[in-house]
Amino acid sequence: MKRFACLLALCWLAACAPPFDPDERLSFDAPTRAQIEGVPLIQQADFFCGPTSIAMVMQWAGAEITQEEVAALAFSPGAGGTYLADMIGSSRRLGQLAVEIDNFDQLLTEVTAGHPVIVFQNLGFSVVPVWHYGVVTGYDFARDEVYLNSGQQDQMVMPFAVFERTWRRGDYWGLVVLPPDQLPASAGEAEVLSAAAALERVAQYEAAETLYETGAANWPDNWLWQFGLGNARYAQGDLRGARQALRRARSIDPTIPEVRANLAFVESEIGG
Amino acid sequence: MGFLNLSKKGIAIALSAQIVLATQAVTMAQAEMLGTDAAISKYTALANRNALMDEIQRDEIRAEIEALGVDPAEAEARLAALSDAEIATMLTQMENDSAGADIVGTIFTIFVILLVTDLLCFTRFFNFTRCVR
Repeated sequence: MKRFACLLALCWLAACAPPFDPDERLSFDAPTRAQIEGVPLIQQADFFCGPTSIAMVMQWAGAEITQEEVAALAFSPGAGGTYLADMIGSSRRLGQLAVEIDNFDQLLTEVTAGHPVIVFQNLGFSVVPVWHYGVVTGYDFARDEVYLNSGQQDQMVMPFAVFERTWRRGDYWGLVVLPPDQLPASAGEAEVLSAAAALERVAQYEAAETLYETGAANWPDNWLWQFGLGNARYAQGDLRGARQALRRARSIDPTIPEVRANLAFVESEIGG
Repeated sequence: MGFLNLSKKGIAIALSAQIVLATQAVTMAQAEMLGTDAAISKYTALANRNALMDEIQRDEIRAEIEALGVDPAEAEARLAALSDAEIATMLTQMENDSAGADIVGTIFTIFVILLVTDLLCFTRFFNFTRCVR
């Protein structure tokens, strides 16, 4: 497992880096620049770069939440940092859609779609790692700059080559955290479905319900969204809502035994 | 970059397989609601597998496979032997390597042929195919 101290390091690594070539590194034609407005700059408490990153993204989306509240669900005091898995888990326990990304294509796809992305960086060297989480809020190819809200009062500006190196040492790990009525731009249907089911697993049924509805609107041909919606409504005691969703699932695909079984189960509870 | 762009086709094919499953499973006596998680992994894996299996049976691809001197039945058997996780990993790699293009189409055809040649040790395109020479 990786751990990090969230120390702040200067980017002295810029010196002999080759410039970032978007044509070579990206497989799609990204706009020259993008900037997401409204992501707050929060000064992190010691070691709280992980929770602070989540708090910044959730506040950007309109939630009222502090880094301390996130830390209670994410931070590992013994490790002096926040594990990757806890970044995902705490976002979900806070009712957010959380999906991982692992490459520049996905990062810039999200940023140009207006979604800030949490990135995991090593600001030190491989042998002396200084692990850190920051939030990418924009970039500019012409100026060779990546913009991050990085747990300090001021925005952090990094040349692409430096950002690339620090992010590469973090295995290009990134996390898109969104409210469940929005969909990530770079994730496939299967990933979003899994993220929705994960919300059910942590008993965030209302968020799961919203995400299943969002997914159903976007991918109307897949019965799994309605199936999940039925289950999430059932878990909240909404039997009629569950029945309606499961009936829709059945009309999309009448052959699925799981749909028929759950529909029969809900109907028997309504009837009985 | 819809992962299930690919699987839409698969889902359609999967219907036939699901009818078979339905007859096995519909008798399940139920004490609680069946979970979403299990259904997602089961049907997503099934759709992926069926999409590939369908692809490998297309005339165009069979011709390519035969041109390589490979028995299409053996290619199918090798594909069928892959685990759900391996298929998912491979599809993710296809998606990443297909540069955001819609992978249902020419590129997908190429990938499927690469998969077959990988499985038979002619190429080594996918990470998971462990070929010992």
